[in-house]
Amino acid sequence: MRFTKVVAGSAAVLLGLLALSGCSSSGSPSASGGDVTLTFWHNSTTGAGKQYWEDTAAAFEKLHPNVKIEIQAVQNEEMDGKLQTALNSGDAPDIFMARGGGKLADVVKAGQAMDITSGISDASKSAVGNSLSAFAIDGKNYGMPVAVLPSGIFYSSDLFTKAGITTPPTTIDGLEKADAQLTAAGIDPIAVGAKDAWPAAHWYYNFALRACSQDVLNAAAESRKFDDPCWLTAGKNLQAFINTNPFNDGFLTTAAQQGAGSSAGLLANHQASMELMGAWDPGVIASLTPDTKPLSDLKWFPFPDVPGGAGESGAMMGGVDGFSCWVNAPKECVDFLNFMVEKSNQEAYATAFQTLPASQDAQSVVTDPALKDVLAAYNKAPYVSVWLDTLYGQSVGNALNVAVVDMFAGKGDAQGIVDAVNAAAAKS
Amino acid sequence: MAFLREDTQTTAIAPGNSGPAGVSATAPAPAGPRRRTRSKWPARGELALLLGPALIVFIAFVLLPVALAAYYGFFSWSGYGPATDFIGLRNYVTILTDPDFHQALSHNAFIVVMSLVVQGPIAIGVALLLNRKLRFQSLIRVLIFVPYVISEVVVGLGWSLMLQSNGAVNDLLDKVGLGALATDWLSNPSIAIWTLLVIITWKYVGFAVILFLAGLQGIPEEITEAATIDGASYWQIQRHIVLPLMGPTVRIWAFLSIIGSLQLFDLVWIIWGQYVASTAGTSTMATYMVANGRNAGSYGYGSAVAVVIFLISLIVALVYQRFVLRRDTAGAITGGNI
Repeated sequence: MRFTKVVAGSAAVLLGLLALSGCSSSGSPSASGGDVTLTFWHNSTTGAGKQYWEDTAAAFEKLHPNVKIEIQAVQNEEMDGKLQTALNSGDAPDIFMARGGGKLADVVKAGQAMDITSGISDASKSAVGNSLSAFAIDGKNYGMPVAVLPSGIFYSSDLFTKAGITTPPTTIDGLEKADAQLTAAGIDPIAVGAKDAWPAAHWYYNFALRACSQDVLNAAAESRKFDDPCWLTAGKNLQAFINTNPFNDGFLTTAAQQGAGSSAGLLANHQASMELMGAWDPGVIASLTPDTKPLSDLKWFPFPDVPGGAGESGAMMGGVDGFSCWVNAPKECVDFLNFMVEKSNQEAYATAFQTLPASQDAQSVVTDPALKDVLAAYNKAPYVSVWLDTLYGQSVGNALNVAVVDMFAGKGDAQGIVDAVNAAAAKS
Repeated sequence: MAFLREDTQTTAIAPGNSGPAGVSATAPAPAGPRRRTRSKWPARGELALLLGPALIVFIAFVLLPVALAAYYGFFSWSGYGPATDFIGLRNYVTILTDPDFHQALSHNAFIVVMSLVVQGPIAIGVALLLNRKLRFQSLIRVLIFVPYVISEVVVGLGWSLMLQSNGAVNDLLDKVGLGALATDWLSNPSIAIWTLLVIITWKYVGFAVILFLAGLQGIPEEITEAATIDGASYWQIQRHIVLPLMGPTVRIWAFLSIIGSLQLFDLVWIIWGQYVASTAGTSTMATYMVANGRNAGSYGYGSAVAVVIFLISLIVALVYQRFVLRRDTAGAITGGNI
C-alpha cells in the first residue's frame, strides 16, 4: 500500500519537474494548411504602440482565419536577455524583434533565425528599399524592417528661445555655447539617461561617427577590436565635451524613458532642453507629457560636426527596428512580416509610434516637424551606421556602454573605453 | 544583509526527541527483533515518501545547476545550442585578473564587515531595550521588524526615488536649512556604498533584533534574579550574564549576515540598475555575474563567475562553521557528546 503511494508520489513529482523544465512541444514547424499559432514578441508595453500591434495582429487573423497570433509585449530593457533564454530553451517566439548587427548575427550563427530571403514579397522589397540591408548576413536576409530610427538631438524650442538661442547649433563649439546660454538662463541643457547606459553611450557612438571613417566602423564589426586611433580621438572629444558639464544633475541614476524623472520625461516636462536620441523619441516624450499629448515645441537638429574627423559630414548613427522569424516558425510568419510593411499598416505604425516608417510609401504620413527634419536629414545622409552596441554584438556592446558611463562619471578615460572593448572579447 | 531565508536554528537537540513522527513505529525498544524486521519496509517507504520530493527538488534545482555551472565555466559559450568551444581555465584566469571583479569583491568584503560592525551593536542595544517592560513594546517591535518584511524591490524603488538628487531627502534637507548637506547620494562613487550600507542596515537590523530577542527570552530568569540578589547591577548582569549567554544567537546571526552579504544582489540591482553599479562603486560579485554573464550574452563566463562566488561562500561558511560555530553545533551536527 505504502509503496505504491511512494511510487505514485515520486511519479507525480517527476511529472511536475518535466512540466517545469518546459518540455512542451514547439507547435508544428513549417506545417501549413491547418490551424497555426504564431507567438509574437515586441517591446511596446503601453499606449498606442501596444494597441497598434493588437490591431495589426487582429487584421492579419481576419485575412488568414487559420492563423492565431499570440502577442507578448516585453519591456525593452528585458528583451535581449529574455529572447536569448527563449531561443536557447528550444521554445522561442515565432516572431521576435530584431535590430540587425552583431546581435542578430549571433542568433543566425546559432541557427536560430529563419532565412526569409525568398519569402519577402517584391512589394515589400520595393517599399522598404535599402533598410532591408540591416538584416542581411552573408547575402541572405533574416528580418523585415518596420522603422528607421536615425539619431540626433531633440530639443524644446521654447526653452531655446527663452535662453536667447535663435538657430540650433551645427558644430560642437556651437553646442557648447548653447549649453552655456541655457545654463545662464537657469535651464538644464542636456538630459541623458545614463542609468540605462546606452543613452550615454550614444554620445560616444556619435563622436566616433564623426572621428572614424565608415570603413573603420565596419572593420571593427568584423574584428570586434578598437585598434584604429580614431576610437581614442572620439573618446577624447567626448571627454572634452563632458568637461563642460552639459548634462542634468544625477544623470547616473536617471533612466531613459520610464517616468517623469527619466531623460525623456525631463524633456516632456521642460526640465531639460535637449536629448540625444533615436527617432522614436517624439513618441516616448508624448507619453510622458502632463496631458500625454505630443510636446508641441519639440524640434530636432542633427548631431553637430566635430572638426578634424574622418567621418563624412551628414552621416548618421541610428537603428533599424524590425522583426525576424524563429528558425522553426510556421511559414505564415513570413506572410505576417510582409503584411507589416504594407502601406496602410506602415502608415498606422508611423502614427501610433510617432516615428519614421521603413516603408517609403508610408513616409508621407509623417507630419511632426521634428520628425520631418529627421527624415530630410536621413534621406540626404551619405551613410547611416547601426548603433555600435548593436553592430558589435552583445558582449562587446555591453562593455563599451559601461565604459562610456564610467567616463561620464569621471571614473574612466578615452583609453579606458578602448581597453574595455578589447578586453570584452576575453569574457566570452 | 540579505539573509538566507531558512531558519537555521542550531540549538543543540538531544538525539532522543528529534525523530520525525514516523519513527514512533520503531521507537519502543522492548518490542524485540521480530517486530523490527517486519516494520523495516514500511519505515523505509515512509522515509522515501517524506524525503523523496525534497531530495528530487534539491538535486534538480541545487546540485544539478551547480554541476552544470561548473561544466559551462570551462567553455566560451554564448548561450545558443550546446557548448563546444572548450577553453580550459581561461574564464577563471580572466575573472581573477579582472579589476572590475576585484572591485566587486572588495565591495562585498566592505558590506560583510560593516554589516557586522554596524548592525550588531544596534540590534543588541534595541533587543536589550525591548526585553524590558515598556509601554507600546509590541508596537515598537513591529515597527522595527517591518522593513525586513517589505520586499527588496519595494525598498529599493522607494529609497532610490527618495535619494535621487532631486528627491525627497535632498528636498527635506533644503527645507530644514541643511541644504549644504544635500548631495548626490546614489551617483557619487565616494558616497554610494555608504548609502547602500545605510539602506541595508535599515532593512535588516529588524531581523537581528528579533533573533536577539528570542535569544534573550531563552535566558532563564532565575539566573538574573540570583545575580540581582547577589548585588549585581543592571549593567553588570547584561555584561557578565546576558551577553555571554546570547553567544550562540549572535554567532548564528553573524553567520547568516556574512553569507547574505556575500550574495547581496537585489537591492543593488533595483537601485542602480543593470549597468551603473560598477560605476557608482556598489557592484557586488552577484551583479558582476549578471552584468558580465547574462547581459553580455557570455554564459560560459557567467557560469565561471557563479562557481567562483559559490566557492568563496562555501569556504567562508566552512571556516566559520569550523572555528566559530563548533561549540554551538557540537552534538547536533557533529554527533559528538554534549
